[in-house]
Amino acid sequence: MTITTTSIEVPEPQRVRDFVMPWNHTLSANGPAANAARALGPWHPQEFMAECVETIPEAGGLKTFVFRRLDGAPLAFRAGQYLNIAFPIHGEDQDPVDRSYSISSAPTSPWTFSITVKRDNGGLVSPWIHDHVEPGTVLDMLGPVGAFHLPDVERRPRYLLLAAGAGITPIMSMLRTIHALPGRADVVVLYHGAAPGEFGFAKELEYIANVDDRIQVFYSLGDRSVPENWEWMLGRLTAQMLEQVAPDANGRQVYACGPEGYLNHAADLLRKVGVDDTSVHMEFFSGDRKTLLEYQEEISLAEDLAEEYAEEAAEQTNHFAETQPAELQLFQPAATDIDTEAEVEAEAVADADTDAPVDDSDFTSVGEGTLTLSFIKSRIKLRIDPTERILGPAQRAGVRIGANCQEGMCGSCKIVKISGEVEMNHQGGIRAREIASGKFLPCCSTAQSDMVIDA
Amino acid sequence: MSITSNPSRTSRGKLSSTVPAEQLAEIRELFEERRKGFSLDAPFYTDPTIFGMDMQGIFQKNWLFAASVAELPEPGDYVTVEYGPTSLLIMRKDDGGVNVLHNVCRHRGARVLTAPSGSTGNLVCGYHSWTYSPEGDLIHASAPGETEFDKSCFGLKKAHSRVYAGLIFVCVADEPPTDFDEVAKIFVPYLEPHDLGRTKVAYQQNIVEEGNWKLVMENNRECYHCDGHPELACSLFPTWGLTEGIVPSHLEEVWDRNKQAENSLEERCRRYGLPYEVVEELDTRIAGIRISREPLDGEGESFSPDGHRLSKKLLGNLRDFRLGRCSMHLQPNSWFHFLGDHVITFGVFPINEHQTLVRTTWLVADDAVEGEDYDLDKLTHTWKQTNIQDKAFVELCQQGAGSPAYEPGPYMKSEYQVEAFINWYVQRMQEHMA
Repeated sequence: MTITTTSIEVPEPQRVRDFVMPWNHTLSANGPAANAARALGPWHPQEFMAECVETIPEAGGLKTFVFRRLDGAPLAFRAGQYLNIAFPIHGEDQDPVDRSYSISSAPTSPWTFSITVKRDNGGLVSPWIHDHVEPGTVLDMLGPVGAFHLPDVERRPRYLLLAAGAGITPIMSMLRTIHALPGRADVVVLYHGAAPGEFGFAKELEYIANVDDRIQVFYSLGDRSVPENWEWMLGRLTAQMLEQVAPDANGRQVYACGPEGYLNHAADLLRKVGVDDTSVHMEFFSGDRKTLLEYQEEISLAEDLAEEYAEEAAEQTNHFAETQPAELQLFQPAATDIDTEAEVEAEAVADADTDAPVDDSDFTSVGEGTLTLSFIKSRIKLRIDPTERILGPAQRAGVRIGANCQEGMCGSCKIVKISGEVEMNHQGGIRAREIASGKFLPCCSTAQSDMVIDA
Repeated sequence: MSITSNPSRTSRGKLSSTVPAEQLAEIRELFEERRKGFSLDAPFYTDPTIFGMDMQGIFQKNWLFAASVAELPEPGDYVTVEYGPTSLLIMRKDDGGVNVLHNVCRHRGARVLTAPSGSTGNLVCGYHSWTYSPEGDLIHASAPGETEFDKSCFGLKKAHSRVYAGLIFVCVADEPPTDFDEVAKIFVPYLEPHDLGRTKVAYQQNIVEEGNWKLVMENNRECYHCDGHPELACSLFPTWGLTEGIVPSHLEEVWDRNKQAENSLEERCRRYGLPYEVVEELDTRIAGIRISREPLDGEGESFSPDGHRLSKKLLGNLRDFRLGRCSMHLQPNSWFHFLGDHVITFGVFPINEHQTLVRTTWLVADDAVEGEDYDLDKLTHTWKQTNIQDKAFVELCQQGAGSPAYEPGPYMKSEYQVEAFINWYVQRMQEHMA
């Protein structure tokens, strides 16, 4: 009997070249975005209430709390950001205690979201959370907050993610996000833990690294004694270790989260292996006083913003009350935001089109027809029919327009319209770019409306 | 690729012997008597007749570097380039390809486009508005009363073009040399990872050097004079061009540092699958080439005082900034430095026997933002300074070649590439005159 074995070849996936967060298109779109997409736009902090729907004990004294918003909206955020949450530790009548926790879930699954909290028995808040927050618990939240997150679009998605202890939380969000999205990426994770059993998310990390060939995960045991069956790296972060896991660290964006000592040490080493300071992003997980103050500052700023948006939203809600379906009003807060430059510009142009009045009362009027073309330099108001090509009548009326081929080829008659519509049948004498900027060739164009022309 | 269009009438209306027989014999003799390893006799640098012959024998026969695709990013964008009397239009087509047309109106010979660069739909001659399509076909010439005027006979003349790894090369010969495509197979793998298609022009500098084009090229082909380039000396190891046996004792330490940098660069190149070996065929083929990837001093990333990157955006799909410089020399008119963070192209455009335009273009990733990802002054500093210094050196030599006391001098061992360039030139010219 012959035994044949067939190896299973994993075909290489076909991917888009750049790495783009799914909301980036909404952010950069010119037109008004669809409401649902707008609601997902992670562009400003809000105050909202959320209900715990699941708790998951994790290795390393960590526990994950899964929430959903009470208003039913998805939570919009960027991978790596955190939430500021009010915990009623001293009872419902007393002031709650505010704490910030990184979101550990990915914004690609926004209908629920989770934070992962390490139990610090000496602390006030984390033991309370571990013991009291359970499915059904409703908490006041503010967020998302924080500048430590993946970019919305990245042509060179080569990352080195460094985590120590509970610092894995925002890193986990990033990793889950990258894993969930298509696009080329090259990710190295180096995760420092205190003991073999204390690496949170270890099973999921193992799974992701196994099935996603864009992602590699390395573990190292801090400086503790090591059991015999440990196969990963040993010891604190060193330059050699960085070179070993990412010899091309120099060309990567580095995201690092962990205790302050770890991060300061990492910053030195990264410099040593040639990583540019501007490529290093850090989140101090258990901060000193200074970082805590920074957090506070950001949160108070976020509170102001949230208030502002909420007010605007209330106004909008009133305004649209009759035309908007009731459920959508809940999403409205997030929909008040994006005045992208393009939109503002588009509006300005629209204004110019319809509103900018050209005072043509003292222009010389010539011709007969249903449409009026105002030539502002020549101070001539030309009446014309929509079937007539513009060039001839305009030249006869005394507008100075150079022209040669008269067939839309040579482009010598090119002029700019300030408002109005033309229909043009050119033959290569003008480029799409020029048309977009308002130019047209009067030799091969007919007017479709009243026009104001810069000639 | 073939030149379509009109029947060739190149022989008609040309004086059959532009150079009187007696003078031609004299020049042939100068070529034949050229002493190997020595610079050329003065007339090669000063004589307008020889300059005219150079234009025919070199610039109208060989593949020449013209521009990079970043200089004409969108359909309709064009640049004009001039090699002696030849003026060419290089235009980006709607399908992304490149068209090369002679910039000579078929009506009465006016330059069709006069700007060094721009963007246009059809090509309109400013004299009588003869209008050509981007393909060069005459599509409009106002001709009232003309009954026998056949527009199809008066298209703009075309030239051959090749775009390799984002570099645009042109050849105006009817039958271009065929070995250029083989040479492209050598250099494309070195350059392609830098992805010129996704770069933009950060800065372009045009310098007119008061020197013969060959002196410009000779100066580029050696670093014996690099003491005169204090800015560049931060990046190039002062041992450049030396070999094991001839390192002076005061440079031994530098030599070791260079060796070490070379080893780690090679290791990185192997890791990333980047070719780095030296390929040198400067005078052993028609499309003479030298290409290699070599380490830079300091941090080894870019042409900055400490070797640190000058643009924060990596080019193409490169994974590391520490890739030294991939440098290419091509005969007869170009050299290039491809780094992790930017690319510099150098094109040499002869004007007459004593003037040469040197065009230097700095390219960065097209998503790099000036002021944020790079500082333009810092990006261009080293080579701007170096170019000014080189201009001075070339001009000193041009003055020397014109002086009665001039006689050819010997090229040193470290100047073997200069000798290779001159040897290449002499071979090409002798073939031309044969």
